[in-house]
Amino acid sequence: MAIAPIPRPPLVLPGFEHVRRSWNNTYEAYAARLLPGEYYVTINDEGVYTTLGSCISACIRDRVSGVGGMNHFMLPASADADGWKSTSLSAATRYGNFAMEHLINVILKNGGQRQNLEVKLFGGGRILQNMTDVGMRNITFARDYIQTEGLRVVAEDVGDIYPRMVVYFPATGKVRVKRLRSLHNNTIVEEEIRYISTVESKPVGGDIELF
Amino acid sequence: MGNNTDIIKLVQGVGGLVTLPNVFIRINQLVEDPNSSTADIAKAVSQDPSFTVRLLRVANSPFYGFSSTIDTVAKAVSVIGTSQIRNLALSMSVARTFAGLPNNLVSMDNFWHHSLYCALTARILARQARKCDPEAVFTAGLLHDIGELIIFNRLPEQAKEALLLVLDQVDDLPVYQAERQVIGFDHAQVGGELARQWNLPPLLEECIAYHHSIGEAKRYPREAALVHLANILAQMAELDTLNSDDVSAIDTHAWELTGLDEAVIELVVREAQEEVVEAEKLFLGN
Repeated sequence: MAIAPIPRPPLVLPGFEHVRRSWNNTYEAYAARLLPGEYYVTINDEGVYTTLGSCISACIRDRVSGVGGMNHFMLPASADADGWKSTSLSAATRYGNFAMEHLINVILKNGGQRQNLEVKLFGGGRILQNMTDVGMRNITFARDYIQTEGLRVVAEDVGDIYPRMVVYFPATGKVRVKRLRSLHNNTIVEEEIRYISTVESKPVGGDIELF
Repeated sequence: MGNNTDIIKLVQGVGGLVTLPNVFIRINQLVEDPNSSTADIAKAVSQDPSFTVRLLRVANSPFYGFSSTIDTVAKAVSVIGTSQIRNLALSMSVARTFAGLPNNLVSMDNFWHHSLYCALTARILARQARKCDPEAVFTAGLLHDIGELIIFNRLPEQAKEALLLVLDQVDDLPVYQAERQVIGFDHAQVGGELARQWNLPPLLEECIAYHHSIGEAKRYPREAALVHLANILAQMAELDTLNSDDVSAIDTHAWELTGLDEAVIELVVREAQEEVVEAEKLFLGN
């Protein structure tokens, strides 16, 4: 039996050319791989996926037009003796706002309507013991943000002690969350620490354009 | 297989870092020796006072549920049985033994937590199947991933690359397959080789070597199948899920070989979750 050739990847929206996409057999679709700190928006029927430790991902789509995407972030904080809480709350929140607004603005710019947006929230696991609950801080921020913006969370799988892999299809809103074994904890934590240290070393600048 | 010599060398390289305690090595020799008696084995146990204390504690724990109190080593050996004493001695010393092989990829707590869950689920499955020795597969379950600790310690860069490969794709890629792609062999092969170099019983060697490829087990296919199932049910217990999408895929031959079916999953997972705290104290405590 002939094997169907792998189709060409769908067109990518401007600004997301650097995100790596690959064909995957489980879904018979392309999927974009998000690293910590990245986001991705698509108008096509393709997936977005990422692995989350204590980071959080908001999956947002226009449920009518199907345009949507995912982000992956955590709030920065300096890890001094008092732990994560010691950083000024406003700087951390500013960074979180940035991550959320980027995603929402690009969705709106590509035809999304604010009143049609639906949100799914994942991550924020407490995957290291003996550590301030960074995950919970990210969850609380994301929920507050979504509420303030008047958006709705239609599904979530957050908190607990597991890392997760999340695969999201904005066109349909379909999502698969897989819990990951503790074997992967350290690798995921290391990736998140590398990301958060780059965020903390350069402060967020510039104003956010609001739509 | 072309990379056999690589595996042998890798395992030989950890020889100075992990050594089984003398008391186990002595018991292992005596159990294999047709001329030895239970009294010889009791004597070997008694020569290690700290081991003796721990053995009696395990033997009297609800985990074993013997009806009478086991207050002497001689009684322990006769009630538990010589080959079981050997398994128990190994189970009780393995976490300590491998403390000499640290790594940065997985915490020892997380590693042994999974291994203990595998041991517990293997024991429960064996009781259900009524075909294999529950205590032997318990030890096999506890040891099934020891090759991982060798790979993580000796080949940290490649091991990390393999783990990143797993996390990097949506399609389920089992860790052992990622290891084969990156390193050329996997943790099951490495663990099997360690068991061989340590002269562990062939049942343990086959369960360790073939828990991801049960078709290759020649002498103990049922036991290897039980450990294969136990490894995946242990992931469920660990992740507190009954969703098969969260865990590795089960080789359906494992159900045929053991005469069990999917209906047992929930019960086995729940029972293991109830036993784990007590078992941690006995096998992973100090």
